[in-house]
Order: sequence, then structure tokens, then C-alpha cells
Amino acid sequence: MTFGPAELICQLLVGISRSMILFIVCAGLSFVLGVLRIPNIAHGTLYMIGAFATFSITKMFAGSSGFWIALIVAPLLVAVVSLIAERVLFCHLYEREHLMLLLFTFALSLILGDLVKIVWGAEYKSVSAPLLLKGSISILGASFPRYNLFLILVGPLVAIAIWLFTNKTKIGKISRAAAVDREMVGVLGINVSWVFAIAFVIGCYLAGVGGALVAPTVSITLGMDHTLIIEAFLIVIIGGLGNMWGALVGSLIFGITHSFGVLFWPQFAIVFPYIAVVIVLLLRPKGLLKSVW
Amino acid sequence: MLQVESLMKSFDDFMAVDGANLTVGKGEIVAVIGPNGAGKTTLFNLITGALKRDRGRIIFKGEDIGELPPYEICKKGISRSYQIVNIFPRLTVFGNVQVAVLSHQRRSSNLFQPAQNIAVEETRSILESMGLSNKGKSIAGSLSHGDQKILEIAIALGNEPELLILDEPTAGMSPEETQDTMELVKRLANQRGLTILFCEHDMNIVFSIAQSIMVMRHGQTIIQGSLDEVRNNKEVQEAYLGGE
Amino acid sequence: MFKNIIHSKWFGVVAGIFILLFICPLFAPRFFVYILALIYVTSLLAMSLNMVVGHGGLFQFHHGVFYGVGAYAVALMLTKSSMPMWFGFIVGPVVAAIIGLIIGWFCVRLTRLYFGMLQISLGSLIWAIVFRWYNFTGGDDGIHGIPMPSLIASLNSSYYFILIILVICLILMYMILKSPFGNTLQATRDNSQRCEAVGINVKRYQLGGIVVATFFAGVAGVLFVVLERSVFPDLLFWVLSLEIFIMCLLGGWFTFAGPILGAAITVALRTFVGRYTEYWTLILGIMLILVIFFLPEGVMGFFQGLFKPGKKEVTERGKS
Repeated sequence: MTFGPAELICQLLVGISRSMILFIVCAGLSFVLGVLRIPNIAHGTLYMIGAFATFSITKMFAGSSGFWIALIVAPLLVAVVSLIAERVLFCHLYEREHLMLLLFTFALSLILGDLVKIVWGAEYKSVSAPLLLKGSISILGASFPRYNLFLILVGPLVAIAIWLFTNKTKIGKISRAAAVDREMVGVLGINVSWVFAIAFVIGCYLAGVGGALVAPTVSITLGMDHTLIIEAFLIVIIGGLGNMWGALVGSLIFGITHSFGVLFWPQFAIVFPYIAVVIVLLLRPKGLLKSVW
Repeated sequence: MLQVESLMKSFDDFMAVDGANLTVGKGEIVAVIGPNGAGKTTLFNLITGALKRDRGRIIFKGEDIGELPPYEICKKGISRSYQIVNIFPRLTVFGNVQVAVLSHQRRSSNLFQPAQNIAVEETRSILESMGLSNKGKSIAGSLSHGDQKILEIAIALGNEPELLILDEPTAGMSPEETQDTMELVKRLANQRGLTILFCEHDMNIVFSIAQSIMVMRHGQTIIQGSLDEVRNNKEVQEAYLGGE
Repeated sequence: MFKNIIHSKWFGVVAGIFILLFICPLFAPRFFVYILALIYVTSLLAMSLNMVVGHGGLFQFHHGVFYGVGAYAVALMLTKSSMPMWFGFIVGPVVAAIIGLIIGWFCVRLTRLYFGMLQISLGSLIWAIVFRWYNFTGGDDGIHGIPMPSLIASLNSSYYFILIILVICLILMYMILKSPFGNTLQATRDNSQRCEAVGINVKRYQLGGIVVATFFAGVAGVLFVVLERSVFPDLLFWVLSLEIFIMCLLGGWFTFAGPILGAAITVALRTFVGRYTEYWTLILGIMLILVIFFLPEGVMGFFQGLFKPGKKEVTERGKS
């Protein structure tokens, strides 16, 4: 099978666009990991809720406006769910050992996963892209979906927003400081528990954004949380724990190797990113970029 | 037996050891003294392989051991105890010493015989000579601090070392415990023909049992010599003894 | 050592339980026998994890892989090769141990967390390959209808086989933990720095512990195939690894038999709750949260705390 440069470039761009969704989700996971020092296993389930919520909201409105509304509302819904979980249960565990926090997030993922089953049922759902983003454009003669172009534009916007948040806002800077030295932050009179709550909710919000964005591109099913969380976790590890830019690098590696896998050996496409992850970890066990810890 | 020459070790930009020299003859009792931060513990870590030297030589029984990992150095005949108690808190006192004895006898990887039947005599005799016989079944984590420090030394003896390195063996002990421990150490040295290298802040101990004293300051060896030589050395007086 | 066991006060109780379990298939309903057998398989798996995490102190985050590899190895031997069936039963654990050795060799060079993360990535890679290799491993369908030697083909006979192998493995594990190797492994968990100073090549012992543990995980995989006659990629998925971890947590890390209790509780819960509602994961999640909030030492640890309050004091004093 021969591929011309147009196909290769298109496939590269598809890979990059998928990486953008992964990046948004992983940025959220990495943020929580950095501040709370634990991987949030429920992150995948929250992503899934984002996707299912997008489905419902899109259905509620005729025409394309549903999707745009969902893009705003679904992540907020996810943020609210995470806030409830945090304030009612999670915050009582902050003094306990990390293993307990981790298990809590696992228990939460089990509970939320079944809640999704209860609310939406077990069949898969699908969401169509809004009119504006349907169809494809032509790049060098090969066709490239408009929606993916949209993703490539949205990704950097989110990255900039995150950067502004962590570097320019007070809350963001405090979160970064808490990630590096939570005791110091506490000594400075800042309520560390609130910092954790905010970090957790923002991280989950980003998972919701990822879920909303992915909705028109895949079938929305009950297993998507489990597959996503392992990919997101591996990306965060190879990028460097707690490092936003690391999440970007890791996502790009993952997305691009996957899309090239699809081109060259479609049956084993999913294996390519895992091989890439293993290679990175063998060479740089602590991740490519500096971790926050 | 042990010779350290121009040893250097830095951490980032801090020179922890900057030209240390030490000679320990067979059967001797040698003390290393110096103010806090002089590099004594780092020196001991370098000798036992816990840290890798930057430069210099460490020669034990004619062999340069500078590049060996700690477990190899132990097998050559060097054993150490730690300043801050570094035992196996979950194991029994007997179990603690037994780990070292089994390792010495090369029977640690024995898979199918019950450990409680192996190396029992040797372990018991070490406990007896350290005065811990009646505490054999206690969990190490529950002992008093003084007993834990004695257990520290007992574990080091489990390897039947030729050179025993003690890092502040009486730190945190009461005066009677200190006296008892040092008598014990001296007795062991005689009975088992051990060579002892130790560091201490308590000058009484140093002066009462050490045959040769090495003084360190800022990671460097100022002098090594007999008690009188050290006491009369001007640099030592300035730096350490406060010009007595 | 065996004299001590026979005279200990628990021997009567445990022996009684075993006799009961042995005669169980004679009067219990089929489904109950099946669940017990499943508990045995899961217990063996949980015990094997505890050996390397609880007793070895390693962050074995993807132990399920070795279970899955053992199961797939025997499944493939029994369905795709013409070697005698019993040979497949030996190949399973051996392949699991070899994979354990290879993955372990890469992982022990790293400390703690990074050990775990490399293992997750290597394990996930194996999962991804098995998941996609339709022609060889059956892909996401797995392999079903695996033939068994007629000696253990019926439910009852496979029950006995599984029980006997479980008992043998438990005895072996007990002996290994009480042996110099086991003691040394536990010493490396408690203080690896001191171990090095005492002449122990810590990494070698950790690797040894991993090989032993993954061997037993492979045995558990073989027993799974004997019971279920099928394999599927979920056996290699991270969710199972986390579940085994939780079983050990529930049962108590530092006890010998805690994981058995954890496995029994989890399997029993899943089965019995599953009969009443399809939302048993929700219930499991809730129970897990209850355990986290109210039983931090695990179920076994909780009971031990009731009977031996002194022990808790001891570890706390040791910490100061």
C-alpha cells in the first residue's frame, strides 16, 4: 500500500486532532495529580459523563445549536458532579494515605459508571457534529474532516487558557505552589483543603470538556471510561507527573503514533502508542519533562 | 587494613568530603572526630559503598573497594551500624540479627527450610554477647531507644566482620548505657579480633578507648595520630577543642 | 515447623473448614460449588499479589497480566498445539514466571512508583497485543470451549482439582515466606538500605520474589481456565489488577491469609449482589467507600485489632 504525501499529512493532522482531546483530558488529570498527588481514576468516568451529557443536551435542541450549548453545559454538569463528590466525601480523606485517596477515586468511578448505566442505559449513543463542522475539506487533494480541524484549533486555545490560569490567576498560582509544597502553602495561611477542591473540580471540568468534544467522533459507550483512563494515565506518566506541557507532549506522541498505526497496520493500530510509551519509560522512567514532584 | 586516600565527594556544589585520609591498622580501635557537618557520616557512607566517591581511593585489605556496591563490600568483611537507628522494625530482635547471619552464611536464598531452624546458635550467641538474649522474641520496633542502638550493633556483628564501623554508637544514650556499650564494644574487639572504626561526639569515650584519632573539619582530614598528638595539635585546638 | 502448626489453636478450625470444603460438592447446589471454586482461584491470585506487595514491598500495579498470561498460555496450548494436555498445565505458570522475570527485570531497576508505572505500561502493551491479535488469541472475543482432560472435566472434579492445587500452593507459599528467602524478602521491604549493608543484593531478592509470585499467578490463571474453559482479554486489563489490589487491602496486607478473605468477600459480594441487581458495581463502589472510611486496616486487620490490641501499640511506638 502506498501513501502519498497528502494522505500522510492528513493522517498526521488526524493524529494531532485526536491528541488535542487527549491533551485536554490529560491536562485535567495531570493537574489533579500534581496538586493532590494521586491519579483520579474517576477521571475517565467523568469524561464519559461529559460525552453522555452532550448526547442528551444535543438531543434536547433542534438543529446544531444543541451541540454548542452542550459544549458549554456538559462540562459544567461534570464539574458540579465532581464538586458534590468532593465536598461530601473526598475532602474528609485528605489527611489519609494516598492509597486511600486512590481507592476512593476507584470507588467513585464504579459508582458513577453505574449511575451512567442507570440514567442512559447500556446501548451506545451517537452525536452528530453541528452543521458548521460537518463534512470535510480538502488538504493537498486528500479529504480531512472539518471537525478535526476544529479540534486542532480548540486544543491550543485550551492550552493557552490553562497556561493563563496557572500562571496569571491567583488561584492558579496557589495551585501550582500547592503542587510543589503543600505544607508551605498551608503555613502561608491558605486553606489547602479549598485548593484541593478547586484543583479537583477544574481537573474534572477538563475531563468533561474532553468528553463533550469527543462525542461527535466516536460511539459513546459504557466502556469508554476504562479505556480512556489507562491511556490518559500513561500519557501523564510519559509527559512528566503534574506537568501540563508534558501532557501535551505525551498526548501528541500517543495520538500521532496511533494514527500512523492506523495507516500502516490497522489491526494493531492501538499497539503502537503503547510501544511508544514503553520506549519512553525505558529511556526516561520519570517522564520526558520535569515532574512536579 | 583500611586505607583512605584523598577521598572527595560533593553533592551538587557542596563538598561534603574534600580530601579525607585515614589509616586503620588491623586490630586497632580508631576514632574519627570533628564538629557537626565535618563529613564523618559521609566518609563512612563512602567507605561502605552507600555513596559513590568522586575521587580518591579506598583500599581494604589491599583491594580498592571504591566501585563496589554495598552488599559486595559487606561480603569483603566490613560491617557498619548507623547513627540513626536503622533496624528492621517489624521483625523480632532475633529475626533482625538472623537476617545478617543468614546473609553471611550465604543461606538467605534458601527457599524451603523454615528460617527459625537455621543459624540459630550463631544468632543466639551474638544476642547473648550483646546482652539481648532475653529480648529475642520482642518485636524490634517496640524496644527502648538504648536497646535499639545495641541491636544496631548486634546486626552489624551478624556478618562476622573484620572491620566494624560504628556511627555514633552511643548517641542518645544515658551515661550508664554509654559506659556499658563502650565496655561491650571493647570486649568484643578483644574477643573476636575486630578492628573498630567509630565516630563520636563524646570525647571521654574517644579518649578512653581509641588508639588512633582522626580529626575532620569541613570534609578534610586535619590530622590522624595518637591521643597526645591530637591534643597538642594547634589546628585541632582552634577548630574543635576551642583552644583549650 | 509442622509440629507448631498442628498444635496451634487455629489448626482445628482450619482443618474443620477444609473437611467441610472437601465434602461440599456432595450436598451443595452446583452454583455454590462453582462460586467456591471461583473463590479458590481468586484467592490464589490475591495471595500471589500479597507475596510481592505485602511481603516484598513492591509496587506491583499490574499483577493481573501474569494471571492472564498464564491463562492464555494454557488455553493456547490446549487449543492450538498437539502436546499432551497436562503439559499445557505446566507451561502456563512457567510462561507467566518468565514474563514476570522479564518485566520484573526492567522494573526493579526503578524505585517504588516508577516500578509500578513501567509495569502498567508493559502490562498494557501485552493487553493491547492480545486484544487485537484475532487470529492467534481470539482478540476481544477470547477463546472459548477449551477442552480439558476427562479426569477434571466435570464441575465437581474440577472443583477438587482446584481445591487441591490451592492447598498445595498455600502450603508452598507459607513455607517460602517462613524460609530464609521469605524473611530476607520481608527485610528488604522494611529496610532495603540496611539489607544492602548486611550483604544482601536487594534487587536480586526482589526479582526472585516477583518470579515466585508471578509463577503462582500463572497457576491461578491455569485454574481459571480449568473452571471457566475460556479466556478473554479482560484477564489482562488494568481493572482486574486494581481489583486484586483491593482484595488484599480488604483482607489486610501483612497477614498471611488476609487476601483469601478479601477475595472471598469480593467474589461473594459480586455474585450475590449481582443476583438482585444489575447495578452491582454501584453497590461494590459504595461498600468500598464504607471500608475506606471505617476499616482502614482491612477486614482482617480490624479483627486482629479486636483480638490483639497490643500489636497496634507496638507498631505505633516503633514509628516514633
